[in-house]
Amino acid sequence: MRKKLLKLVFCLTAFTVNLFAQINVVATLPWIGDIAKQIGKEKLSITVLVKTSQDPHYVEAKPSLIIAARKADILMYNGLDLEIGYLPVIIESSKNPNIQPGRPGNFDCSKFVSPIEKPTSVDRSMGDIHPLGNPHYHFSPLNVLKVAQGMTETLVKIDPQNENYYRKNYQEFYKKLQEKISEWKSKNLSGKKFVAYHTLFSYLANDFGFQIVGCIEAKPGIPPSSGEIKKIIDTINNTKPDAILVNVYSPKKPVEFVAGKTGLKTILVPHDVGSLPQTQDWFSFMDKVITLLSEG
Amino acid sequence: MKLTSFTQQTFYLLILSMLVSAQSFPQDINERIKTLEEKLKIQQEIIQKQQTIIQQLQEELQQIKAQTVSEKPPAQPEEKPVYASGGLFGAASAYNPNISLILDTFGYSTNLKEDELENWNIPGFIKEGLHHQKGMNIHAAELYLFAPVDPFFNLYATIPVTQEGVELEEAYLVTTTLPAGLQAKIGKFKSGFGRLNSQHAHVWNFVDQPLVYRAFTGREGINEKGIQLTWLPKFPIYTQFGIEALQGENEILFGNDGSKGLHAFGTFAKMSFDIGSYGTILFGPSLMIGDTKTDSIEQDHIFIGDTKLFGFEFTYKWKPSRWKSFLLQSEYLLRSQKGKLEDTATSTLHTLKRSQDGLYLQTIYQTGRWGFGARYDLLEPFKDTFKLDGVQTSFGDKPWRASAMVEFNPSEFSKIRLQYNYDRSSRANITNNEVFLQFIGGVGAHAAHTF
Repeated sequence: MRKKLLKLVFCLTAFTVNLFAQINVVATLPWIGDIAKQIGKEKLSITVLVKTSQDPHYVEAKPSLIIAARKADILMYNGLDLEIGYLPVIIESSKNPNIQPGRPGNFDCSKFVSPIEKPTSVDRSMGDIHPLGNPHYHFSPLNVLKVAQGMTETLVKIDPQNENYYRKNYQEFYKKLQEKISEWKSKNLSGKKFVAYHTLFSYLANDFGFQIVGCIEAKPGIPPSSGEIKKIIDTINNTKPDAILVNVYSPKKPVEFVAGKTGLKTILVPHDVGSLPQTQDWFSFMDKVITLLSEG
Repeated sequence: MKLTSFTQQTFYLLILSMLVSAQSFPQDINERIKTLEEKLKIQQEIIQKQQTIIQQLQEELQQIKAQTVSEKPPAQPEEKPVYASGGLFGAASAYNPNISLILDTFGYSTNLKEDELENWNIPGFIKEGLHHQKGMNIHAAELYLFAPVDPFFNLYATIPVTQEGVELEEAYLVTTTLPAGLQAKIGKFKSGFGRLNSQHAHVWNFVDQPLVYRAFTGREGINEKGIQLTWLPKFPIYTQFGIEALQGENEILFGNDGSKGLHAFGTFAKMSFDIGSYGTILFGPSLMIGDTKTDSIEQDHIFIGDTKLFGFEFTYKWKPSRWKSFLLQSEYLLRSQKGKLEDTATSTLHTLKRSQDGLYLQTIYQTGRWGFGARYDLLEPFKDTFKLDGVQTSFGDKPWRASAMVEFNPSEFSKIRLQYNYDRSSRANITNNEVFLQFIGGVGAHAAHTF
């Protein structure tokens, strides 16, 4: 009888511990953290490494990020070399076996997407070009859906007890996305033309049928030279785009100069979830992006 | 629900009939009831299981329906391998290690003559002078290789090619799967002592190392064969502990004495936390002890004894964006040695006890692609014990140096740096006015930067 009671108590405690134990997710970028939140909700405890004001290409492997990674059950990152300048150091220095490459806790979101703008040949005289393709696929609804699906499968693998929960949330996400896609398509961005500071909007342009006629930052990661600025001004005069698209971390001076010379207005577009007001989750972030561009 | 009530009804009937038959044998009725109850339990469990299966099936059906109704069903997540295709050597090139090459070269100018430069030592500390040449210098073309070995180790190697030849500066394995926040480093590596020691020269904020490093660890720093074990516990703030067992070949601190095996031992702790959104503080003590046999102190003298080196590091970095940052960094080092100093010319033995310290303080302000820096070096700020046979030796003024630096970074992969040193480290009334113009460029794999 006592043995049985003990067994019962043991089972109960094990059960309650399981009930309240959250999976520790560390996401590099805010949008990744948000997708994880929509799939895992209260089953996950989510830490985001890169701040909404930061340029995700250039982040420092601060010890505070390393200690966050130390506690991760699963690390989710953008991939396509976007975080190459800091993430390898964070992963190794975390001394956390869960998130090492090859482990289920090392979740590269880009594995599930179809990259565009993959250069056929590349060297750094072209600037800090991403040889695996444009890494800013979080503007692309279908790619984000595939990431969400991959995330669901991985969470199921890591936490099979809550399989139905994750699948149900994914279904909700999927349904909401279906509705949103038709809403976004109805804003009719096709035929519009923009100039951007950085190659952030290529996926969006592909999906919604508008055109990016050029980038002020001619070589990724290197501020434009006066010759390059002259060239983009010529492009603007020839193609007559609707506006210049910038984000919170793009340098102001060259943008203001080009805007002043051409009379084009600039639109401050959120580059990630939470980087501007009313972008608290990925859907509202996309709402904001599409609205800003359609009004531009 | 229908299904359940139906099966339940059948079970009640079953039970009833069994009860009836049980009554004709009242002697074992209790036993029978017991077995029946147990059977009933089992049956109910089966029913529950079946119910959950039905529910799951219904859910799955709905999912399938939802997917077929929508225009574009989500594709199965594909995992795309990024291996290089075919070729003469198959996909083997995908297994090549990451390789980068960093060129560190500088122009040098000074008011000193060539022979004065060679003898520009620090009396009471080291006899070695400066190795810069007037005109152009190649610090190194540094070959850097790294890759995972297997799921258990990463491998790193640093092979600087200098005018003197090829050197194996570092080559070590790092474990990736030890439990409990432990990690081991095995091979030849830069010790985790202090802040600057483990950094490669091309990531320093100045062309040259601080005086205190030059005086206590020499040109190469503490770069040894050995084993390091670090531990990063799951504390709320970053706290790393480390211990090292090293061969002790550093010529200034320990001296190359192979007969003693591992004879230098170190330990360090580093703590770090963020202040506000953009600020970070990193600090911690380090200690290194070992047996020493060195001829680096004075000409024609060999010192045999033991060494203690204590260090404390402090770094504050504020970096609100890629284009703006401020850095304040300082290290204090204290070195104590006790032993015998042998005059090899006369074969006389003296006792030597020296306990000296030093520090540097540097600050960098970065805006856009430009960086501006200042550094102050001072030896013997608090301790200047140098006792030969119990008698304090006086060498003159405290060695010190002031530096100013301006740098331009055309991209993340290149750097141009101009630095001026007002160097008063010779203790005599002579100044070394040095100017460096340094160029650094890196090609190949993009190695991630440590903090």
